[in-house]
Amino acid sequence: MPLPEKFSELEPWIDWALPTMRERSDRRASSNMEELQSFYQALLPHLGDILEYMAEVPTNDNQEHNRDLLNLAKSLAEVAPAVELFQEPIISNGYDVRRFSSDNE
Amino acid sequence: MAEAVTNYKGPKQYHYLYPELGTGPVSVHPYISKEYYQLEKEFVFKKVWLYACRAEQLQEPGSYLVVDLDVCQTSILLVRDHQNKIRAYHNMCSHRGNKMAYDKSGKTDNLTCGFHGWTYGLDGQLNFVPDEDNYFDIDKSELGLSPVHVDIWEGFVFINVDPSPKESLTEYLGELGKGLTGYPFNKLSGKCHRFETIVNANWKLVKDAFQEVCHTPYQHRRSLPDAYRNSENPHTRLIDIGISGHHGRASLFGNMQHIPSPVASQAYNHGATIVSAALGEQKAPEMEAVGINPTDSPDWSYELNVFFPAFFIACARGSYFAHQFLPLDVDRTLWQSMICYPEPESNAEVFSQEYSRVMFRDIMCEDGRQIEETQSLLNSGAKTHFHLKDEEILIRQSLFEGDKMIKANGGKL
Repeated sequence: MPLPEKFSELEPWIDWALPTMRERSDRRASSNMEELQSFYQALLPHLGDILEYMAEVPTNDNQEHNRDLLNLAKSLAEVAPAVELFQEPIISNGYDVRRFSSDNE
Repeated sequence: MAEAVTNYKGPKQYHYLYPELGTGPVSVHPYISKEYYQLEKEFVFKKVWLYACRAEQLQEPGSYLVVDLDVCQTSILLVRDHQNKIRAYHNMCSHRGNKMAYDKSGKTDNLTCGFHGWTYGLDGQLNFVPDEDNYFDIDKSELGLSPVHVDIWEGFVFINVDPSPKESLTEYLGELGKGLTGYPFNKLSGKCHRFETIVNANWKLVKDAFQEVCHTPYQHRRSLPDAYRNSENPHTRLIDIGISGHHGRASLFGNMQHIPSPVASQAYNHGATIVSAALGEQKAPEMEAVGINPTDSPDWSYELNVFFPAFFIACARGSYFAHQFLPLDVDRTLWQSMICYPEPESNAEVFSQEYSRVMFRDIMCEDGRQIEETQSLLNSGAKTHFHLKDEEILIRQSLFEGDKMIKANGGKL
């Protein structure tokens, strides 16, 4: 049971539950706009419920289904600027995002 | 209380306050000259207080952190000693000069050189030399690690490699540092999300990208279409700019009518975000520091503080971010950034911070490309000067301060 039961509808997107920023940004960069749109549109209607649920989950909760849900939501945070602002997966005419090292989470 | 400047379309208003800076074009020479870079190394970076780390990064006695300072031709070993005091040393063994700590950070009871085992206490004293009888007349009490001046301001640890600094850290930070007293840096450093990259550009070119915001309507037209400007302030004019000692500051305008994107607005319900800095209570505890929104503008979003030479802090409600631009060479810079929040308590807050972290990084991507492209052309000689507008006065002030400090410390321009 990889996601909390009330979010079982989102199971088809479970492969977006990636644990590090590098993996999430690589996934964003290697996706096309249709794929990013589909993921965004599938997740967004649930974001309110997800946040309401996660507001009760302390950060030291290590249950797998809660971790997966958080990582799935983090992928929405990664994809949101591409869909809402840039209208493309990576920032064309921008700095290569892979050149930024970041904390491993 | 200074009078609020609310005319965002009016004429020039800052340069006349600082006539010593002049108003003419500024030379690109300091951005490309190897000779000028040598002067900056010797007479600026080796003479000033430089940001090293946050005190929280040295959590308990024995915690250590290494800050490689190529620009000062050294590596600094910062350690919290058994009295809970943070100390700094040149990261170098007294025996034959080996680097003491190779790892970037760690925890240890004593500092042992990996080459021949010379062992120092956290207080820097040489305590143990293996096969000591085989050396000639060594006095352990004289052979401790070489200390470096270190001091802490609001949890920011600064070091100064000058053996006798001209000013204390408090004097160096001056009014700008004093004005931020009371801003809750410690609380807001509960979770610092860090980024690092090496940019192929002069350190000042990287810094300049953060010393003005009038590039926002163009370079950030997609990431920040309206968060920091509106029809009353179409050119992202600053609310107020000031020069204070070695440093510069500015209050950034925020569009109170900005409507966050769907994900941004939900993220904002669980913490501040970089694009919602203008929102929130005018009376938030962050606003109590006198250096935050000093003109009491209702349009305030961020307080930008540019600490000469290479450290930048932008303070908002519920969050701050910082940059350090450490030169590696005349045309290479280690750019270190962090966006900081209270320690998250729930996974919803983790999500909120993640959204901001991604936005912060994406905005830096928009800046980074321009910085390198500009540097790649500076040696062409096609353009020998930059033409700064009034809103770009902090760039002019930084260049002026660099020249001034080089001369004051004995360098010949």
